[in-house]
Amino acid sequence: MSHGSIIKIPFGPQHPALKEPENFLFEVDGETVVDVKPRLGYNHRGMEKAFELKTYIQNIYLAERICGICSHAHTTCYTQAIERLLGVEPPPRARYIRVIIAELERIHSHALWIGLAAHEIGFDTLFMYVWRDRETVLDMFEMISGNRIHYAMNTIGGARRDIHADMAPKIVKGLDFLEKRLEYYLDIVQTEQTILKRTADVGILRPKDAVDLCAVGPTLRASGIENDVRSDDPYVAYDEIPFNVVTHDGCDVLSRILVRCEETLESVKIIRYALDSMPNGTIRVRVPMKVPQGEVVSRVEAPRGELIHYAKSNGTTKPERYKVRSPTLANIPALCKMLQGGYVADIPIVLAGIDPCFSCMDRMAFVDTKKNRKWVWTMQQLRRKYAKE
Amino acid sequence: MSLFKWAQTKSPWIIHFNTGGCNGCDIELVAALTPRFDLERFGILLEGSPRHADILVVTGPVTLQVKDRLVRVYEQMPEPKHVVAVGTCAISGAPFQECYNVHGGIDTVLPVDAYVPGCPPKPEAIIDGIAKLIQKIKEGEAHGKGK
Amino acid sequence: MEKENEIVEKLKSFLEENLVNVIIPRKRRIFVHIKRDALRETIEYLMKDLKFKHLSTITGVDLGERIEVIYHLSHEGSIMLSAKLTVSKKNPNISTITDVIPGAVLYEREVHDLLGVNFKGHPDLSPLMLPEKWPEGVYPLRKEHKLKHLRQITSEK
Repeated sequence: MSHGSIIKIPFGPQHPALKEPENFLFEVDGETVVDVKPRLGYNHRGMEKAFELKTYIQNIYLAERICGICSHAHTTCYTQAIERLLGVEPPPRARYIRVIIAELERIHSHALWIGLAAHEIGFDTLFMYVWRDRETVLDMFEMISGNRIHYAMNTIGGARRDIHADMAPKIVKGLDFLEKRLEYYLDIVQTEQTILKRTADVGILRPKDAVDLCAVGPTLRASGIENDVRSDDPYVAYDEIPFNVVTHDGCDVLSRILVRCEETLESVKIIRYALDSMPNGTIRVRVPMKVPQGEVVSRVEAPRGELIHYAKSNGTTKPERYKVRSPTLANIPALCKMLQGGYVADIPIVLAGIDPCFSCMDRMAFVDTKKNRKWVWTMQQLRRKYAKE
Repeated sequence: MSLFKWAQTKSPWIIHFNTGGCNGCDIELVAALTPRFDLERFGILLEGSPRHADILVVTGPVTLQVKDRLVRVYEQMPEPKHVVAVGTCAISGAPFQECYNVHGGIDTVLPVDAYVPGCPPKPEAIIDGIAKLIQKIKEGEAHGKGK
Repeated sequence: MEKENEIVEKLKSFLEENLVNVIIPRKRRIFVHIKRDALRETIEYLMKDLKFKHLSTITGVDLGERIEVIYHLSHEGSIMLSAKLTVSKKNPNISTITDVIPGAVLYEREVHDLLGVNFKGHPDLSPLMLPEKWPEGVYPLRKEHKLKHLRQITSEK
C-alpha cells in the first residue's frame, strides 16, 4: 500500500442487515478514530419533490414508503398534519387505533434492532430468537390490516380499518407471549458478558453533547434526557393513556439497548390499556379533497426518535411543500461525536447503537492522518479484522 | 446435469443488495432467514461477497448514487449468474416514479431472471421466487449469462 | 395558551421591529416571522433566555422570487416555535447558526443542497444527499425545476 493512494477493496453487501449504503469518512490515528465526516445520499430518492406532484390522498401511500420499518409513524405524522390544515379531528376510536398500531410498530422495530445489534456483536443465537418472537407482532399486523409491513392503517380523517372486538383477545394473547420474551431478553442484556463487554462504556454521548447536537429518541434518553414527543407534545390518544418515559444514565451503547428493551415493555402496557379503554364510534370522518391555505408542523415519536413533518398548503388538492425530517438524520451529528476518540473496532456497534434507518453503511473510507494513508473497508472487512472472542 | 448446475441448483449462494428502497423488502428477506421460514434448509446461503454468489437478490428502485455500485457488484459475480428483483420498486420503480433521483426498475440496469412482486412480498413469496428461479436454472431456461 | 403568550410577549419586547408577524394557531405551536438580519440574535435569545434548546430541523421553501427558511425549535420538547425569514433567490445568503447550535450542521447542508441557500460561516457545505455527479447550480426543490428536466439529468448519467 503506497502513501496517499486510495485503496478500494471490492465490496459486497454484508450480512443480512439492512444495508443502505451511506458513506462516512473516518480520520484515524492508528486504532483511534480522530474525526468522522458523513456523506449520505445513497438512499436519497427525491420524495419531497414527488409529494408536490401528487394529491394528498396519493401522498399517504408515498409517506408510508419513506421507511418500511416505521411506516405507521410517517403516515400518522402525515395524516395528522393534513387533518390540522383541514381543521378536522379524527374520531376518538381512530386515535386509539393509531396508538395501538404505533406501539406495535415500536415493539417490532425495537425487536428488529435488538436482533441486529446482537448480530453485530456476533451473538447470532439471540438474533434468531428475537426475530422469531418478532413474528408474533407481524402476525398481529397481518390479522388487523392484511399486511405484515406497510399496514396502511391511516387515512386523512381517521383509520382505514377497525380493530374489531374479536381481535382483542388474540392481541392480548400475543402480548402475553411477547411480554415474557421481552423480559427474558432484558435480563439477558443485563447479564450476558458477551454483550456487556462490547457495549458498556462504548460510544459515550454526554448529556450536554446530546442536547447541543439535538439528538432524539432512545439515543437521547440513554444519556439521561427525559424527552419523548408522546409525553411532551401529546398527539393521537397519548394524553389519555398513562405510560413512563424510559431513560438511562449510562450514555453508552448498553444504555441505548436497555432503553429500547424497556420501551418495548412499556409499549405492551400501553397497548393493553388502549384495548381496554377503546372508545366506541366511527373510525373516520370524510374530508374534502382540497386543503385550504395554511402551514403546519406535525411531530410524532417514531421508534427511532422525534419525527417531524412540515406541510404548506395552497388551496389545491396537492401540497405546496412537504418536508420530512427523519429521526436518524437528527442523530448523525451525535453519532459522529460518539465515534470520535473511540476505537475503530467499535464503529459497527456504535453505529448500530443509534438504530440508523439507513443502517450499516456499505463502505467506509478511512484516512490515517499520521501516515497519510487512505483506504476503504466494507463493514464485513471491519468486523472480520476486529472479531473478538 | 453439469457440475455447475448441480452445485447451483442444490445450494445456490445468494447475495443481497439494496438500491435505495424503504427497507421493507430487505427486512422480509432477512426474515426469510429466521427460524419461521428458514431459507437455509433449502440450501440457500446468504453470502457476503459477490465473488462467491450465484444469485443477486436486489431490492429498491435504483437511486442514481447507487447505480454504478450495483453494476459493479453484478460484474464481480462469476458466471453463471442470475438476478432476482424483489419488490415493486425493484420491478418498476413505483411508487417512486416521480422521484428525480430514482432510475427505475432493476431491469433498466441489469438483466433480471425472476420478479417477486409485493410491497413488500412476504418471505414465503421471496422463497417461492428464488425456488422458481432454481427450477428455471435446472431446466436450462434462465437467461443468466453463461451456462 | 398561557406559556405560549408569555413567550411571544418576551420575544416581541426583545426583537421590537425585527419581529414582523406572530401566529399562535393552537397550543404548543407558535409561528414567528422575523427579519433576516435578526436571525442570530433571535436564535441566541430563544436558546439561552427562553430555553428553546432543541432544534428539530430547518425547512426551506421556494416562494418564487424569495426562499423562505424556517427554523423549528422546541421548548422542553413541548412548545414548537417556527422562526421564519426570507432571502432573495438571486442572493440567498444567510448566516450560519452552527456555532450557536452545533446540531444545525446537517440541516443547513440539506437546505443548501436542495434549495441553494448559502449559509455563511458553515464549516462544510459539501453535498450531503445529492449524488456525486449532480450538476452544480441545479437545486431540485426549486419550483423552476420540473420533474421532466430533473429526470433528464438522471438519465444522462
